[in-house]
Amino acid sequence: MSASNATATSISHSERRTLLRFLGLYAFLALLILILGSTIYYTLQKDLMLQTKRLELEEHSKELIDGLKLLHIYFDRYRTYPRNPLYRSAIYDADKVRIFSTLKHPESVQLDKVIYTTGHVIHYIHVLDSYYLGAKYVVVEIDDDGEWFLQTWKNLLLYGGAMLTLFLLAGLALVRLFLAPMRNAIRLLDHFIKDTTHELNTPVNAILSNIEMIDTQNLEPKLRKKIKRIEIAARTISNIYQDLTYLVLNHKIASQNREVDLSRLVQERADYFKILAESKKIEIETDIQPGVKLWIDEGKMARLIDNLLSNAIKYNRRGGEIFVRLRPGELLVQDTGSGMDEKQIKEVFKRYKRFDTSAGGFGIGLNIVAMIAKEYGLHIDIHSKKGKGSEVFIQWNG
Amino acid sequence: MERLSVTFLLLLSLLNAENVNIYERNCVACHKRLTVSLDKFFFNYLLKHSSERRVKEALYDFIKNPTKKKVLASEELIKQYGLMPKTALSDTDLRKAIDTYWETYKVFGKIK
Repeated sequence: MSASNATATSISHSERRTLLRFLGLYAFLALLILILGSTIYYTLQKDLMLQTKRLELEEHSKELIDGLKLLHIYFDRYRTYPRNPLYRSAIYDADKVRIFSTLKHPESVQLDKVIYTTGHVIHYIHVLDSYYLGAKYVVVEIDDDGEWFLQTWKNLLLYGGAMLTLFLLAGLALVRLFLAPMRNAIRLLDHFIKDTTHELNTPVNAILSNIEMIDTQNLEPKLRKKIKRIEIAARTISNIYQDLTYLVLNHKIASQNREVDLSRLVQERADYFKILAESKKIEIETDIQPGVKLWIDEGKMARLIDNLLSNAIKYNRRGGEIFVRLRPGELLVQDTGSGMDEKQIKEVFKRYKRFDTSAGGFGIGLNIVAMIAKEYGLHIDIHSKKGKGSEVFIQWNG
Repeated sequence: MERLSVTFLLLLSLLNAENVNIYERNCVACHKRLTVSLDKFFFNYLLKHSSERRVKEALYDFIKNPTKKKVLASEELIKQYGLMPKTALSDTDLRKAIDTYWETYKVFGKIK
């Protein structure tokens, strides 16, 4: 039950991340399309408003031109500019010099246009054929009540919001559809690991406890060798079993932190792995300072050390060496294995990442190390040289 | 300094007076005998040419070489008085006279 939940959690976490990334990109593109559509809609609405106002402004300009005509004829008698409270106006000569104006801002009039709006006013420009009082351009100005602007924005927000929601829902459905095969594959793998883990426990324990009960001293050397091989194999399986158990149960088991004697633990784990190392003629050398302690869950720390040692054996050459050093605040595991390049070092903590498929394992060891290190704030530093070997430093505030 | 500016102003008004004289002597004097006043011609030019630059150019062009094609006066008036003769004024004096004419009848600053 717990294992199933933990597996589901790990799947949904990576799935959620992929989902969010895709949705982010999708939303960005959808937003771009919406902005483009909104701009077109806004421009069209503005044009529509101007076309509607144009009729009214044309009427005003005709009335004004009639007034200008009269003033032109009777200029020697009357000099009063034709005004109307419904609009403001101005006249400009052919060289665009202002002759007279009652506009709010006559200096910013655009005489090359026919009708346009700026700020809160609408301008209409009529070009005359007969230049009464020398006026070629007649500008009529009315106030823009902004009604269309408010309505347009309301529509944009309402329909734009609805469309964006639709886009996102469609995106969500699409991404779920696209991710389904991947999700199924991961779920299958995790279920497999979970089931294997459950099935492994009893036989491995039975093998290990029975081997420990055999008195190998009294056996023939040939048989002793065979029993040793069985023990190595059983320990390897046991180690994999421990990793898998950690992976599927770690979210559900509360940490039992206490002050752990690291010096004892590291020595114990090194001794445990000596039998495995012997199978590849690898020598494990230790330099452990006594009395090094750390506040941690012992089981998790054992997992961390086991994985470092297991990797050092797995990726070591036959007849190679492993050096383990423990100092307050630092644990070093050094091997004489195949080493890694920069790119490999960067990817080393990824789950299911294996650089040497012939070495066995699932590629979960260093992922577990990284998880434990993250939980306890331990700093991991890896130095590696292709063909020379690797050094893994685990550091903490000691 | 004050004396200098007074002298300058005096010189300017003298020059202006001279321009006015050119206009009065050469334009007003002749047009007096016509039935249509000079301001009517001005407003005809304004109606056709709009801006100061264009009006002055058109006037200069017509006075330098008056033709029936360019004339803005009515046909009856031309029939009655004929086309005005080519001006004998120098270019400078003609431009001065046109400037005075513009200043006398322009609408800028006169509309209320």
